[in-house]
Amino acid sequence: MNVDKAGLIKMKGKTERTGISSQTKASITGLLMVIPSFALLVFTVIIPISLAVKESFLDTDRAFSLKNYTYLFTDKAMQSNLMFTLNLTLISTALTLLIGYLLAIYLRFNEGRITDWIRKLYYIPMFVPGVIATYGIINMYGNHGWLMRIGNALGFESFPRFIYDYNGLLLANLWFNIPFTTMLLSSALAGIPNSVIESARDVGAGKISIFAKFIVPMTYKTLLVAATFSFMGMIGAFTAPFLIGPNAPQVLGVAMQQSFSIYHEVGIASAMAVFMFLLCSGMGYFYIRSMIKEEPAAR
Amino acid sequence: MGWYARSLGKRKIFEFIVLLVFVFFFLGPLLNLVLLAFSGKWQYPAMLPQIWSLEWWSFVLTKEEVLSSISLSFGIAAIVTVASILICIPAAYAFARIRFPLSRWFLFSFLLTNAFPKMGLYVSIAVLFYQVGLMNTLLGIVLIHIVNTLMFMTWIPAAAFKSVHQAQEESARDVGAGPFRVFWHITLPMALPGILVASIFTFLSSLDEAQGTFMVGIPDFKTMPLVMYSIVEDYPSTAGAVFSIIMTLPTIILLMGARRFVNADVMSSGFQMK
Repeated sequence: MNVDKAGLIKMKGKTERTGISSQTKASITGLLMVIPSFALLVFTVIIPISLAVKESFLDTDRAFSLKNYTYLFTDKAMQSNLMFTLNLTLISTALTLLIGYLLAIYLRFNEGRITDWIRKLYYIPMFVPGVIATYGIINMYGNHGWLMRIGNALGFESFPRFIYDYNGLLLANLWFNIPFTTMLLSSALAGIPNSVIESARDVGAGKISIFAKFIVPMTYKTLLVAATFSFMGMIGAFTAPFLIGPNAPQVLGVAMQQSFSIYHEVGIASAMAVFMFLLCSGMGYFYIRSMIKEEPAAR
Repeated sequence: MGWYARSLGKRKIFEFIVLLVFVFFFLGPLLNLVLLAFSGKWQYPAMLPQIWSLEWWSFVLTKEEVLSSISLSFGIAAIVTVASILICIPAAYAFARIRFPLSRWFLFSFLLTNAFPKMGLYVSIAVLFYQVGLMNTLLGIVLIHIVNTLMFMTWIPAAAFKSVHQAQEESARDVGAGPFRVFWHITLPMALPGILVASIFTFLSSLDEAQGTFMVGIPDFKTMPLVMYSIVEDYPSTAGAVFSIIMTLPTIILLMGARRFVNADVMSSGFQMK
């Protein structure tokens, strides 16, 4: 039992008089402190989500139907949007984790000026406004962009297509998500004491077995956290796909916005949102489960 | 070159390549914008501008729309940050220190802000705001900005409060300090880095927010990102680049100012609440 002291002491005076147990008092204090932010969550997130779920089950006559979902999964264009989005999100997440992991390991086990520089600079993309970064990517990788100019000077003739293409979206996803993943994993790797690695080396463990026996077990939970937030951020992304994505197939974020504001098909737009929400909830479930599992050990 | 490379060793060369790829990929697009912003003439296929100039700076900085968007955005961001602190910090403290029913349930419910696609959420929020008369109001904008910040403004400070050793609070209490004094003089200062990082995140995410503002703030609230969209569409890329720098400047300044506090551990702990 680790009853909270602050709550206890705060409540002490009154408790003795009224006879309500201190745990009850602490519970009330705790709930009162959480209620303002939770109320805001209810108003700006939970009610709107419920509205969208309801809307997704209504047809144009406002009667209950599954029409929006059947459309979502049977319409040719919609199917290709779905596959495009899933493909892009899964590949981006996998690459983000891989590159982020490599970068974090590199930063953890190397010293020197170059490493210091990377350590200082890798935060920047996390804080740069999304519109600006996308604009920078357009100007760099677009037709006659900086990449082409530099490539030309170095003697390259042909370039892969980035802007208005799958490649560009992949690139933008990596740009936005690798720094966050690297940050999470760096922090997890910093928690592995040097002494553990050194003593493993002393008993003759090679690089690969150190990686498999120490580094992976101590970081896979963080990897799940990184995967969860990268996945959630990428699947419903709008700004970058809107500015640099192809016209067809589209990612769901853009398709959703268009069916809402251009075609005024609220039901279909909501069905798309709910579908993405379900996928994210799946990720969220594993994430929360892994966080809660740790609890007994931590307490 | 050969002897020079060999004397450096393979490792150094490898590190240099890593740095080069890193800088090219992550900073290239931003450096490109800086070059663009100061160029007067930059014809293909030159690698660098042929003529440097500041003409687009005076063009952008004398546009009424731009100037008013800057002050509007900063005003909104300041309100959003203060409001988020007032609303979320008590909750963060409660999650870290007080035992109450369903606390885990409440804690993880904030993940919902990230689990539903933002665009869909904004559409539904707009429908709701329309019914309660919050469309095209400052309150509506502040609320939609707070949606983006609720989660980390609760989680990061909660992790920060949790990392303060209770033994330190107890010893302060043992010498007779009241609970508020303990909070003010012991707990708060030690949790400050986490709160500061979360506040910076909040401030910047409010400055950056475009879609939600567009949904509920049209036509009166033209913030910087919305002006940026129209500049991208209507003016040459040089003007866009200039405005990009103006919009990114607060980020750079804030990060430099708070460099001591912005570190991987403080931020990461917020996403791994135990």
